[in-house]
Amino acid sequence: MRGTPTSVLTQVVSRLLLAPILVIAVAVLVKGYADVGDGFSAGVIAALGILLQYMAFGRAETERLLPIRLVPLLAFVGMLVALVIAAVPLLRGDAILTHAPGPRQDVVALGTLELITAVGFDVAIFLLVVGAAVGIIHAIAVVAEGEKR
Amino acid sequence: MIDAGRFARASAPLAFALAAVGFVVVLVLWARGGGTVDLDWIPTLDARLSFRLDGIGALYALLATGVGAAVFAYSWRYLPLHLSHQGRSRSEELRFYALMVLFMVSMVGLATAEDLLLLFVFWDLTAIASYFLIAYDRHEPVSRYGALMALIVTGVTAVLLLVGALLLYSEYGTFALDELVEVAAPSATVTLAGCLIALAGLAKSAQVPFQFWLPRAMAAPTPVSAYLHSAAMVAAGVLLIGRTYPLLERSQLVLDGLLVAGAASIVVGGLLALTRDDLKRVLAYSTFSQYGYVVVMYGLGGPLAAAAAAFYVIAHAIGKSALFLTAGAVTEASGGRTRLSQLGGLGRSMPGVAAASAVAAASIAALPLTVGFFADELFFEAALERGTAATVGAMLAAGLTFAYLSRFWLLIFAGPVRVPVHRIPRAMSGAVAALALAALIGGVVTAPVAELAGDAGEASTGLPVELAAAYHLDLRTVNLLALGSWAIGLIGLVSLPLTAPALRAFAHAGARVGTERIYGETIAGLNRLSDRIHDFEVRDVRTRVAAVLVPGGILVLLGVIATPTEGAYVVRGISDDEVALVIGLALVSVAALGATVPRRHLTLALALASVGFSLSAVYAFFGAPDVALVAVLVETIFALLFIGVFALLPSRVLRREASLPTRLSRRWRDPLVGLFSGAVAFIVAWGALSRPTATESVGSEHRRLTPDAHASDTVTAILADFRGLDTLGEITVVAIAFAGVVGLLRRGRLR
Repeated sequence: MRGTPTSVLTQVVSRLLLAPILVIAVAVLVKGYADVGDGFSAGVIAALGILLQYMAFGRAETERLLPIRLVPLLAFVGMLVALVIAAVPLLRGDAILTHAPGPRQDVVALGTLELITAVGFDVAIFLLVVGAAVGIIHAIAVVAEGEKR
Repeated sequence: MIDAGRFARASAPLAFALAAVGFVVVLVLWARGGGTVDLDWIPTLDARLSFRLDGIGALYALLATGVGAAVFAYSWRYLPLHLSHQGRSRSEELRFYALMVLFMVSMVGLATAEDLLLLFVFWDLTAIASYFLIAYDRHEPVSRYGALMALIVTGVTAVLLLVGALLLYSEYGTFALDELVEVAAPSATVTLAGCLIALAGLAKSAQVPFQFWLPRAMAAPTPVSAYLHSAAMVAAGVLLIGRTYPLLERSQLVLDGLLVAGAASIVVGGLLALTRDDLKRVLAYSTFSQYGYVVVMYGLGGPLAAAAAAFYVIAHAIGKSALFLTAGAVTEASGGRTRLSQLGGLGRSMPGVAAASAVAAASIAALPLTVGFFADELFFEAALERGTAATVGAMLAAGLTFAYLSRFWLLIFAGPVRVPVHRIPRAMSGAVAALALAALIGGVVTAPVAELAGDAGEASTGLPVELAAAYHLDLRTVNLLALGSWAIGLIGLVSLPLTAPALRAFAHAGARVGTERIYGETIAGLNRLSDRIHDFEVRDVRTRVAAVLVPGGILVLLGVIATPTEGAYVVRGISDDEVALVIGLALVSVAALGATVPRRHLTLALALASVGFSLSAVYAFFGAPDVALVAVLVETIFALLFIGVFALLPSRVLRREASLPTRLSRRWRDPLVGLFSGAVAFIVAWGALSRPTATESVGSEHRRLTPDAHASDTVTAILADFRGLDTLGEITVVAIAFAGVVGLLRRGRLR
């Protein structure tokens, strides 16, 4: 992260890997309710993919290529979504975090992705984890550059 | 915010309109005989949203909205001047009015709340709003100090109110005041609860021994002082006493306590007000002295005294807010002078304000034709019922009030002109005049005020009260007492040059041994204690860890020794499919032992990561792929972030730390502590795993429920659904940790 020049090979491989990593993250997220993985794992995978770009290209180049400045905002969006999903059942008089649709009700499914609020909650966790991890990476990178100068 | 400036400019008229409409609504509702609202709030705690607009409620709600309207009209012109003197933007007005309106609404809620819990909520809301309002000039350390002091004194004592409410609830099973009044019989619990509630009220009304916060709170902008410290915040204390009076009354101890605290406040406040130089300080001492009258009247007991107390609150709030606004106007007109010794002769250049404030001061000093005259008359009548000592005390107290208010007014408006005077906006003098007019009208047309106070007294005591407020030009006792008090006041005023040194010595002694000193010492002591604990906690992490592990281990070990061991520790063979697991666990052990060897930080981080990785391999063998996946990912990102953070630390610090020799005592202590606590944990885990579980475990219950959650992966269903609340808590921790880390990296010492 100190901006030591990395070889072209590292850079090419890192860039090539970014899309697959993000796809895997989304797959882990979407398939979370049916298979191994959940929003947290998906968030960490995505954050690791972005961290790889920092390692290979340094901060300035990575943040030129990717909208990194917006990613930390995701943390707050995720927190907000999670709180909304938790609080909305209260308005209907249910217990906190009661998910809809309830047991044995029909669910709209797109492949393995089921449209239920529990999945929304998982997505919120994903957003929060990506946002927090990338935000911390960004902050560390900024300070590390300052140290070097 | 889009065009915050324009919005801020509109906030003054908005707040004024809100207060005026609120005043009219409360007035109309009261004229129609009041009413109640009762809604479920927290049924499991028996807390209800119950409001009642009775005499007390109407009185304080009318004060909060009426004086509020006058103060808002005043600050419409005052606040822009105040902000421009300090070079602040007008958009900050928004915050002022938002907080003032919050305060006003909480005050109306407090006045009408029937439920003790609800009362407590509004009580604290007023405290919080007042904190921000007193600290409105937040760049001034004095403002922040005063605000914090007001918050601590009234906030800590607010807990007493809550404790009192809970005591009553545990005894009678209700928070509703009307039910409590019916069932509560004189008993130790009621006395104790009454004491606690009365203490909370005394602290809010700045009565001795809590009086010291009020003068400090004068660092607030003038409209805040005029509102909070005449009609609202300080009045909330006596409102609480009036509201819970039927309960307080059951114990003579509480009534006597009120009497003593009130009398002490009258004396301390009055004497100190005679010598203070700062305009607003004089008024602050005068305020808690005046509320001392009200508290004394409640302490005297009986429906007449309760009604008289209510009457007094009205008269005082109108007069005192007018005087505070006068102080602000005078300071503004004289170019920022805040001391009596710098002012003088302003009567010639500001005749309107001088006349209006003279009426306001006369009302508090109980001169005829003002509403205050009857307040004092009722005060004397209540004192007369009590006996000679109370009567003489009342006369002296009234004389004291007369003396310091005359001094206040004369030093500002009479005498030689000392300073050039600027014109002040009409709205400012208009607000003073409106309040003075209210005091005059109340002094001539007395029926409405008397009726309101009578209603309030009835609400406090449950007995109907008829207040007869009319002028009698004869030599009845109360008239003689009034004449006597004015004479005493004049003597006190004239003899002030002689008595001033003694009064200053009194003030000095109070500063040395008074409660403010105790407050300061307590806060400083708590600060030192907190620093010391912090030092102790962070200086040596290993010692802290050992201090938790060793006693914890000993306790657990004692438990293990006390339980029968027969059959508790089972040793069985390893089946073939468990071989991989054992190999994995052996790897984990090796990695863990290896992590104790390295001295360089980077190597240590990598060794710890290798422990984690081998442990995730074990999870994978154990048939927990979800856990294994999370473990691998967490180990990866944490190892990388660790390395990233090490890159931020100066390498010479890391090298120096790594090359420090271990102290001899530590060389043996740390491994021994580790071995001991590890061994205890091992024994407990062994014992727990040796017991076969007969009942259905939580795990299989979760597996059974997974299809109901529309899931096929149990772990995700647990995280997002079954234990969703835990997860919500955890992600909140992640969010807070994120904010903390970024904050540290951006502004902390790392930069």
